[in-house]
Amino acid sequence: MSDVEIKTLTMNFGPQHPAAHGVLRLVVEMDGEIVERCDPHIGLLHRGTEKLIEYKSYLQAVPYFDRLDYVSPMNQEHAYALAVEKLLGIEAPERGQYIRVLFSEITRILNHLLNVTTFAMDTGALTPPLWGFEQRELLMEYYEQVSGSRMHAAYFRPGGVHQDLPAGMLDSMEGWIKQFYPFMKDIEHLLNENRIFRQRTVDIGVVSADQALDWGFSGPLIRASGIPWDLRKSQPYDVYERMDFDIPVGKTGDCFARYLVRIEEMYQSARIMEQCVAALRKVGGPVRVDDRKISPPRRGEMKGSMEALIHHFKLYTEGYKVPAGETYTAVEAPKGEFGVYLVSDGTNKPYRCKIRAPGFPHLQALDMMTRGHQLADMSANIGSLDIVFGEIDR
Amino acid sequence: MGVIAPAKPDSAAEAALSRALNDELADKGFVVAQLDKLITWARTGSMWGLTFGLACCGVEMIHCWMSRYDLDRFGFAPMPSPRSADVMIVAGTLTNKMAPALRKVYDQMAEPRYVISMGSCANGGGYYHYSYSVVRGCDRIVPVDVYVPGCPPTAEALLYGVLQLQKKVRRTGTLVR
Amino acid sequence: MPEGLSELGQYIAQATAGAVTAHQVRLGELMLETPPDRVVGLLTFLRDDPKCLFKQLIDICGVDWPEREKRFDVVYNLLSLKNNQRIRVKVATDETTPVPSAASVYSSAGWFERETYDLYGVWFAEHPDLRRILTDYGFEGHPLRKDFPLTGFVELRWDDVQKRVVYEPVKLAQEFRRFDFLSPWEGARQVLPGDEKAQEKGKTS
Repeated sequence: MSDVEIKTLTMNFGPQHPAAHGVLRLVVEMDGEIVERCDPHIGLLHRGTEKLIEYKSYLQAVPYFDRLDYVSPMNQEHAYALAVEKLLGIEAPERGQYIRVLFSEITRILNHLLNVTTFAMDTGALTPPLWGFEQRELLMEYYEQVSGSRMHAAYFRPGGVHQDLPAGMLDSMEGWIKQFYPFMKDIEHLLNENRIFRQRTVDIGVVSADQALDWGFSGPLIRASGIPWDLRKSQPYDVYERMDFDIPVGKTGDCFARYLVRIEEMYQSARIMEQCVAALRKVGGPVRVDDRKISPPRRGEMKGSMEALIHHFKLYTEGYKVPAGETYTAVEAPKGEFGVYLVSDGTNKPYRCKIRAPGFPHLQALDMMTRGHQLADMSANIGSLDIVFGEIDR
Repeated sequence: MGVIAPAKPDSAAEAALSRALNDELADKGFVVAQLDKLITWARTGSMWGLTFGLACCGVEMIHCWMSRYDLDRFGFAPMPSPRSADVMIVAGTLTNKMAPALRKVYDQMAEPRYVISMGSCANGGGYYHYSYSVVRGCDRIVPVDVYVPGCPPTAEALLYGVLQLQKKVRRTGTLVR
Repeated sequence: MPEGLSELGQYIAQATAGAVTAHQVRLGELMLETPPDRVVGLLTFLRDDPKCLFKQLIDICGVDWPEREKRFDVVYNLLSLKNNQRIRVKVATDETTPVPSAASVYSSAGWFERETYDLYGVWFAEHPDLRRILTDYGFEGHPLRKDFPLTGFVELRWDDVQKRVVYEPVKLAQEFRRFDFLSPWEGARQVLPGDEKAQEKGKTS
């Protein structure tokens, strides 16, 4: 039998592709239908965010964080606000912290809804996105009521949040939470026991616990591989210590486990939302720190008092000066650990702001995850990794 | 809750129109119309949109296709392949690295093709205008028909942009483009 | 936890025999400094030692301090899940000194080091695949250095005659407006004779 030389086929997947979840260019080397190697080319959405942040004041840099992981904007703002507060040495007031936790969990549900439903769409189920996006629209209504924008809110700022909740929002949220549980049951009915969905996700992209640690996984991916690690429990920030919630941990580390972890996290997020809403009915007070050198005065005050006018002017032109120092602050974003490494040199502009996106190491591990799988499993793997290029490429 | 109720159709005028059509058909057996108008009616009634979601505007674009704003009822079906698409919605920031791919995809579309530039990043560089790696507006790469402003434009704004494109096609559409 | 952190810093400094040139605890975070040739040994120690167990490499980034001789700081952020602790390791290097790659210690270091090379030009020795990752395919220069201009040197547009994208020197319709709030006189850079305050405030970002 003579030796037959088989050349691997190098194929280009993306950057314009319905299942590529944004601009991903994958150069895939294949042996027939089996993937031998894949090399993700990123940087197709590299917008120079970090360089631009170095030229803006601390307050002007806040909207850049919305646009990083654009399906869960407020969690990114949260990390930045916490980092700047650490350098400034201040703490947001209690009501502000409760509002932050409430909107962080709303954002977590927003993100998981998009991820789970588009993951289902990648595997062929077209109904979950249609149902899930209506829930997203209802949540984006809350975003709009509180900040003016459906997606990029610029709501969490260093010092607290920008303004208080409008009247009637808490009742509306209670109503939303009540109808959310039956909605989630519907989605689970569609997908959990579905033969096609299971065949496309069970035992696909298995990641062991050691591999997860080695490749820098975090968030639902590391929990699906069996490691119970959640920054909200281990290094709590804001009022997460007072919240009563569970952490779902998977056993098998495959795509199905990641999907189940996300579904359960949505239930837990709704639970946290209930507790926050109940607390916000009782806790009053300011929503941002009172220090006029950091948070600007209310507009009515500004138009009346001279000091308020000067504070307003100085804060919105020059901005506050942050003492020199550096910090790495991370939050449990829906995709994993989102961290901000902020270096300040004492002026009003950040000296260096490194954004540690969870998707960056996750996408790096795609090569390891898809070896030996078929091309169709590639889209299942990418979907379960929860990749968003705004944060990877920055 | 944010949905604009459509204007009630004028039942008398509609009844008169359908009566006239039926009479014409019954009388001669055919109806005469301008070929131009007929073709633009067909073209605007079924413009398939290439989903070129690059960044955050892509999420609002998806929202536009989903249950609340439903672009599908305008005939605007999502079509991932450029070969069968009529409209390309450039949604998001166009970077230097991505520009050749954008042009390639645009060249793969068949005439008549239109481009909607969605969001301030695609309109003119937007929030990242001064960055070293961003193309200051996708009109440096492809010719644009409709610009939809916003950061991101709400799904309703994109819907408005699509309807404006339909108006533009009706206004300027000819057989030869 | 600061007391535990500074003890941990001392323990690491003693146990690695000279790899740690400085350690300090600020804002509740422990930082170690090490020369480039000892960094792989230090990271391996931090990963495997039972008191440390920093099993996860969270981040590698660069910081540019152009006034210093060794202008780049390569910063490694590590996380220990077991001990619930974070630590930072800093390596100072310049444009020509390579830093040994940490890819042999942590698999996730691969792309982080590629990014640092791309944005700063720090060379990582023995890296499995060191090439540009975020910037354009033929990009020249290292964008996040402080001497690289914000808008870069080239921009591109589609040329219909040549039927391809062409790179041209940057021409902005409106210049980026930089408001210099820290100097006493708007825009003035010259130091007035005898005016030391202007000199120290003249170091703007």
